[in-house]
Amino acid sequence: MSERNQQTAQAGAASFVPRLGTSPGLLSRYSSALLLLLVVILEAAVVQFVIRDVHSANTEVQRMYAWSVLGLRRIGSLQYDAQETRRSTLYALTTDNSNLQVEYADQTREADKRVTEAIAEYLQQAQMPREIEVGNRLRQDWLAYLRVRDEVLASILEGSTKEAVALDLSQGVRLFDRVREDLEETQRLYDEQASQRLANVAALARRSVIRLFGVLFCTVFSVSVFVWVLQRSKMSSTLQLAKMQMDFVASVSHELRTPLAVLCSAADNIADGVVREKEQLTKYSSVIRNQSRQINGLVNQVILFASTQNGKGRYVLRPLEVTEIIESAISSTAELIQRAGFVLEQHITPTLPRVMGDPSALSQCLQNLLINALKYGDPGRWICIRASLGEGRDHRHREIRISVQDRGTGIDRADLPHIFEPFYRCPAAVAGQIHGTGLGLPIAKSLAEAMGGRLSVATEVGVGSVFTLHLPVKEASAELPGLQEGPPARV
Amino acid sequence: MIRCKATVLLVVAAAALLLWAPQARVEASRPKQESLAIIVNQSNPVNDLSLSELRAVFLGERRHWPNGRRITLVMMEPGQPERDAVLREICKMGESDLRRRLLQGLLTGDILVSPKTLATPVGVRKFVFNVPGAIGYLRPADVDASVKVLRVDGHLPGEAEYQLWIPEQAAP
Repeated sequence: MSERNQQTAQAGAASFVPRLGTSPGLLSRYSSALLLLLVVILEAAVVQFVIRDVHSANTEVQRMYAWSVLGLRRIGSLQYDAQETRRSTLYALTTDNSNLQVEYADQTREADKRVTEAIAEYLQQAQMPREIEVGNRLRQDWLAYLRVRDEVLASILEGSTKEAVALDLSQGVRLFDRVREDLEETQRLYDEQASQRLANVAALARRSVIRLFGVLFCTVFSVSVFVWVLQRSKMSSTLQLAKMQMDFVASVSHELRTPLAVLCSAADNIADGVVREKEQLTKYSSVIRNQSRQINGLVNQVILFASTQNGKGRYVLRPLEVTEIIESAISSTAELIQRAGFVLEQHITPTLPRVMGDPSALSQCLQNLLINALKYGDPGRWICIRASLGEGRDHRHREIRISVQDRGTGIDRADLPHIFEPFYRCPAAVAGQIHGTGLGLPIAKSLAEAMGGRLSVATEVGVGSVFTLHLPVKEASAELPGLQEGPPARV
Repeated sequence: MIRCKATVLLVVAAAALLLWAPQARVEASRPKQESLAIIVNQSNPVNDLSLSELRAVFLGERRHWPNGRRITLVMMEPGQPERDAVLREICKMGESDLRRRLLQGLLTGDILVSPKTLATPVGVRKFVFNVPGAIGYLRPADVDASVKVLRVDGHLPGEAEYQLWIPEQAAP
């Protein structure tokens, strides 16, 4: 095969082999579990989302509640203490007892201290420009009132009640009214902020509900789509399997019917005395034997496939020489090759290391590849068996590569992903009336994998195909543990 | 020569003893006393008053502070040791004389406001704190930073030359 074909073969082997059988099988086998897992993950995500959203809304409500309570208390205290400051000052006017007046002076000063602190706290927590502006105005007005209050208080304590009243009426009342207006402004501002926060919380709650519904809808939709796709895929697989089984039955029936018809015809001729001469009898016996062998081979192949699929195949593994495997396969198919007029070439690298495997299974695997090359090797009628040592896919272990190459029609790229599927027949083979059951390659693949190896294919339409059996080299530390050289192991 | 030096030293020692002895006698003869602090509002610009100025203030002869504020005298109730000390040391008169004098001043208009009377030292201190033109008196232990203590004749309470004292027997 040319260099280009070799490259194709490498690429084909690399790209095709991993697609064989594993992923679709796993997906199909664990589809329900995967679906359940997906639903659980989605549900967990939704629950987490809902919890986070509810928590966020709850935190916001708590924050707003704390802010409201604190704000109301602060404004209430501020108003009360401001009134208390003025009230205590005026109480001092109602008595001429200096001791009592001093007591009222104490009360008014304590109250004004609380007001001053509350205003400072308000300014410290103010964030909006309007809040800061109102806070500053309140502080200035309050200090202005306190200056007058001090004078009024001093006049009262001095005993100048008349002066105190006059001062309070002329300045105190006006300044205190301004303080009161500032406090009312503060309260209005607080009310506006509270309304805004309430609106924010309501909007947050609405947004949470909308998001919740959105997420739930998306979840249900995603799950529905997933279930629909899965069901459709399953149905498609089931239909395909049913079709292949029907094809298999038809193919097997056809394969059995032809030799059976020949057998019946030969038996009838002998029984009816049509064939009497020894030479003719010998010829008929040969025909009967060949047809019987064909039927026997077909039945054996079906049984072999069934055993490889249900895992009932039992193999005796032992270290094998590569040449031993190849010679066994060639000797079993030599007659067929010779009869078909094919040329067989062998290129086997000398002193190849041994492989671990079951001799009959590996021989059968190689036979299937050779028979496949015989069936589809026209028009080249040439088969080449190569055996060489190479690096494994993991680049850590070595492997033996036994390839069977033909110069036949090649495999169409569309058929390539299906050739190892049981009962699959290429449309071109069906059209060309090439007999077969569609089990040869699947059996070869199953046997290769049972031996710890794999099968790869490289092909080009009109040029030919190369099927390669990759077998792990039996190293000192064998890949199949416990299978040391010595007594055979059963798997 | 040595005898001469010893004589000089003896004379110096005798002179020092003579100078120290009367004071020591005075200290020894004075009963243990507590000083009486004169307090004003912190905003009052006055820091120092002579004893005679203090007398004028307490008897209502001086009615305004230098900043124009009216002077308001605050005193403790009659019978208190501090009040007795003020009558004796500053006013140089008894309780009845003071009362008569104040009544006369109020009637004639020489005194604008009669002195305020408070029951406790704390009340006095708070009154002085609240009234910018107030003046009162307290034991030093009752004074805090809310009021200002005046120097009397350049001395603060507790100093040796301070002249306002509450006799020990009068102290509670």
